[in-house]
Amino acid sequence: MADMTAETTATRQVSFSALRPSREAVVGTLAVLAFLVLWQIAPSMGWVNGRFTSRPTEVFFAAIDVFRKDDFLFHARISLTEFVAGFALAIIVSIPLGVLLGTSKIARYLIDPPLMALYIAPTLVLLPIMVIWLGIDMAPKIAVVFLGAVFPIVLNTMAGMSEADPRFLRMARSFGATKLDIFMRVLVPGSLPALLTGIRLAVGRAVLGVIVGELFVSQAGIGYQINLYGSAMRIDRLLVYVLIVSAFGYTLTILVRSVENRIRDWRSK
Amino acid sequence: MAQIEIRDLGIDYRKPKSNEVFSAVDNVELSIEKGEFVTIVGSSGCGKSTLLMAVAGLVNLSRGSIKIDGKQVTGPGPDRAVVFQEASLLPWRSVRGNVKFGLEMQRWNGGDLNERAMQMIRLVGLSRFSDYHPHQLSGGMRQRVNIARALAVDPDVLLMDEPFGALDAQTREIMGTELLRIWERHKKTALFVTHDIDEAIFLADKIVVMGRNPGHIKEVIKVDLPRPRDEAILDSDDFHSLRKRLRAHLAEDMSSMQLVKEVA
Ligand SMILES: Nc1ncnc2c1ncn2[C@@H]1O[C@H](COP(=O)(O)OP(=O)(O)OP(=O)(O)O)[C@@H](O)[C@H]1O
Ligand SMILES: [Mg+2]
Repeated sequence: MADMTAETTATRQVSFSALRPSREAVVGTLAVLAFLVLWQIAPSMGWVNGRFTSRPTEVFFAAIDVFRKDDFLFHARISLTEFVAGFALAIIVSIPLGVLLGTSKIARYLIDPPLMALYIAPTLVLLPIMVIWLGIDMAPKIAVVFLGAVFPIVLNTMAGMSEADPRFLRMARSFGATKLDIFMRVLVPGSLPALLTGIRLAVGRAVLGVIVGELFVSQAGIGYQINLYGSAMRIDRLLVYVLIVSAFGYTLTILVRSVENRIRDWRSK
Repeated sequence: MAQIEIRDLGIDYRKPKSNEVFSAVDNVELSIEKGEFVTIVGSSGCGKSTLLMAVAGLVNLSRGSIKIDGKQVTGPGPDRAVVFQEASLLPWRSVRGNVKFGLEMQRWNGGDLNERAMQMIRLVGLSRFSDYHPHQLSGGMRQRVNIARALAVDPDVLLMDEPFGALDAQTREIMGTELLRIWERHKKTALFVTHDIDEAIFLADKIVVMGRNPGHIKEVIKVDLPRPRDEAILDSDDFHSLRKRLRAHLAEDMSSMQLVKEVA
């Protein structure tokens, strides 16, 4: 009885404090504001050359321009298509592969070392090969996104499956669980958090893949625009695109992380 | 014939990082009647868990046989359920979900399954916590879930490996009394491993005392204390003399362990 009341209050406190701005959030906001002010006045004070740094106000107006008349949607659609196609392919391939590796020791011994090597190597170095094989349309970018995203998901799914708690397996067997039961009701739910961790890590690598891919070889897309404004010294517009990219990556990561946290908390069923 | 017949049982394990084999349990002969409550005591490492897991069908026998109702044990079966030392609750399932686990494995159908699970949760006094997840429960509550999960599948034999081992003395006593209350209602055959001498006596119709190197049965002690039992029995003369006898056994084992240490 006493336990239970304590428990509920504790839970409530946590959820309330999540709504109230935390000290961390306040400090963070102040720091950003201070940075913006400094950035704004630095060129006028002669500390830096405004031609290279632009100003927050300039970036703001550039953003309005970009969204109004810069074919923003056209470029965004191309980058997004590359991202989604590459990521979807990565998920389709990586989850079954991760499951196979996580449940079969032999498969693991066989494929783990080359997989690790590919994971650690920056997959972007393969871009020139991709261009030779696939041309300069969307395909090489999709391939680079795929290569960036596939390994973190495979490796995390594999780890989640193969590191299942042996006590759970024994418990399940004691109730007469079949292999399929153990897979569906112990291994899969148990490795879901690891899978999501893999997806979250993959998001960052995939975003990087799209943009860098487009920076090097393309005629359209967000990365192409960044490259264009970079060579034209339009720092304000360049920064607008950079901000769009990081906002996109950040939002996706936060989204996945929140699902991950909910599952890791084991509150969901 | 007794319900559980263990004949000339031996279980060998391989030592880690070598091909050497050693016997964890050897020459075990034991008969257990239907509805009997049997406790197993012995010093750490003498093979209590191994013996219990063998009856559960979770380890391979190297020698001898285990029969339940005349049928050879070859693996886990719905006639037995295990309460593990560590609760082994699935953290992503609620109390209700965990109690349902065994029922799902044994293919109970939907309506029966839910009702049965709730009934078991009530039996162990956790109705108000059925939607809690394991991390929100105390150690004692987790062990209740562990017991409810095993009872739910309605086994003939309940196998318990130090289910209260990690609990404090007081909770342990309460859980023991409650376990007896439940057992007296259902009269399942029970095999209960423990380190605690008082617990071993309090619960048992029969105490199996095990020794080590290799694990074997030293003595089987009948406990004729009247049932139903409550804490008052702990102060009775019969209880005292049983306690003395068991202490002597375990002290013997301890001193032989000491000797091994000194030699090494
Ligand atoms: N899977 C295994 N592989 C190898 N050796 C094992 C295995 N399981 C147990 N053993 C060994 O068998 C012996 C008996 O172990 P067991 O767990 O049955 O003892 P126990 O009486 O339950 O001890 P405790 O009271 O500490 O739980 C020990 O020496 C242990 O190291
Ligand atoms: Mg043990």
